[in-house]
Amino acid sequence: MDSLIFYLLGSVLVFSSLRVVTHKNPVYGALYLACALVALAGVFFLLEAHFIAGVQLVVYAGAVIVLFVMVLMLFDLKADKQLWKISPFRWAAVAFVAGLTLGVTFLEGLLGSSFPRDLEFFSAKHIARLLFTKYVLAFEVLGVLLILIAVGIVALTRSDREDV
Amino acid sequence: MGQDIMESFINGTKILMIFLSMVGLVPLLVWAERRTLALMQSRLGPNRTGPLGLLQILADLVKPLMKEDFAGQATHKGLFYLAPLLAIVPPALVFGAIPFSHPLILPSFEFLGYTFGPYTFYFQGFNLNVGVVFALGVSSLSAYALLIAGWSSGNKYSLLGALRAAAQTISYELGLSLALVGLILVFNTLDFLEMVKIQSGPLTFSFFGTEKTIPFLPGWGIFYQPVGAFLLFVSFLAESNRIPFDLPEAEGELVAGYHTEYGGIKLILFYIGEYAHIMVASALMVTFYFGGYTFYPFLTEDSLNGLFQTRMGEWAGLLTSMALFITFLIKFFLFLFVFMWIRATLPRFRYDQLMDLGWKTLLPWAFGNAVITALVIFIFDFFKRGSFFG
Repeated sequence: MDSLIFYLLGSVLVFSSLRVVTHKNPVYGALYLACALVALAGVFFLLEAHFIAGVQLVVYAGAVIVLFVMVLMLFDLKADKQLWKISPFRWAAVAFVAGLTLGVTFLEGLLGSSFPRDLEFFSAKHIARLLFTKYVLAFEVLGVLLILIAVGIVALTRSDREDV
Repeated sequence: MGQDIMESFINGTKILMIFLSMVGLVPLLVWAERRTLALMQSRLGPNRTGPLGLLQILADLVKPLMKEDFAGQATHKGLFYLAPLLAIVPPALVFGAIPFSHPLILPSFEFLGYTFGPYTFYFQGFNLNVGVVFALGVSSLSAYALLIAGWSSGNKYSLLGALRAAAQTISYELGLSLALVGLILVFNTLDFLEMVKIQSGPLTFSFFGTEKTIPFLPGWGIFYQPVGAFLLFVSFLAESNRIPFDLPEAEGELVAGYHTEYGGIKLILFYIGEYAHIMVASALMVTFYFGGYTFYPFLTEDSLNGLFQTRMGEWAGLLTSMALFITFLIKFFLFLFVFMWIRATLPRFRYDQLMDLGWKTLLPWAFGNAVITALVIFIFDFFKRGSFFG
């Protein structure tokens, strides 16, 4: 039963991830991205990482991609649709991704999966403890990075308007 | 799903029942709302068709079913048909995660020559240990239905309505999640069942190292988090796009908002989604702040079990769960009534007022509430344990 749901979610994930880059219309691309992220949350649920799945839904599918979709819907996309074409290097890209996937699978088989699959490891308490003790530096640096991005975007978008 | 075929069958039926009763409640709610509004405004409301006008809902539902299934030329067909379905999926999923009563524990029994059980049946569609995060996550997906509906209609008014609706939903979601943080800190859990369990006792709090208990008050979330409860209620109102936050459907400004191009059964699905949101909001308010399915000191799992154990023997578990379910339903319908009451009372906000309220009032207050709750808990814990990080 579990593996059936996994293959279902996996195929949705792979299909919608492919459509993100192969669909002509950017709005559809963003919606497929949202679909892929929801499917990913489903995979997390299957791995009993319920908290991570919930956060995945709240942050990525529920907030970030909604903003993408909203902004894209406001653009006039006719020009973008005409510009869209398949790159001549598509087979190189396909080969690269396939090689990467195979390599990762092979490595995992070689080294053996050490993926813990229990409720205690993925509980909100345990994750919080890890975030605020062991990985606190990385966590804070990421926070600073996000602020940097926000400030940078404001600076970039205002730079050509000295009269304001 | 379950360990054997019996349990799987019952759990499957249960999920279906919860979904169907949610959808089935919608026409009744529409009728109740129209009658309530009419009575509050000194009118009669629909009272001609059938007893008390109850058959009006049937007429109102049959008419859209008979309509032509129409999609305009400029629409993106696939998304256009997907949006109404997406509108009812998130609230239905959240509704399935809310516990309606105490879990029913069945001892093993013999049936048709086979031995079954023992079982534990939850009075909820599925039991998650992080119900609160799940509810927040799934309900944050409801913005997609609005956006997709508006954009795929290929109509300026629809798109503008959808943008308004989605902006409103996203803005108030922040306040909603932050208002909940205080409650999660107080109860120290993300599990609905555990939250209700804590609320089924008397009001207890630690005060500079001593435990105080107020025996005549139930330990409901609203006594710990009155500000959070109010903020959450306002956010729920905004999330379900109801008056005074029904800007997405401001018919004077935007023909009919994001569902301008929709008609027939597709439009009905949007309405079902809207009412499902209200039901989810009521059920969540009851579960978070008003004791869930318990009512200390009369209607709790322990007192009822004791009462039924002496009189009814082996049926005690079932009767307890039923009595608690009715308790939940009464609270649930009271909250639904409050939603209708508000609709009859308040006028609609202007759009800038709505955004001001969301970002400049609700968000800072919710943030302050969370920080102050955390500080208070931290300080009192310090007195209780005698050290930080005990």
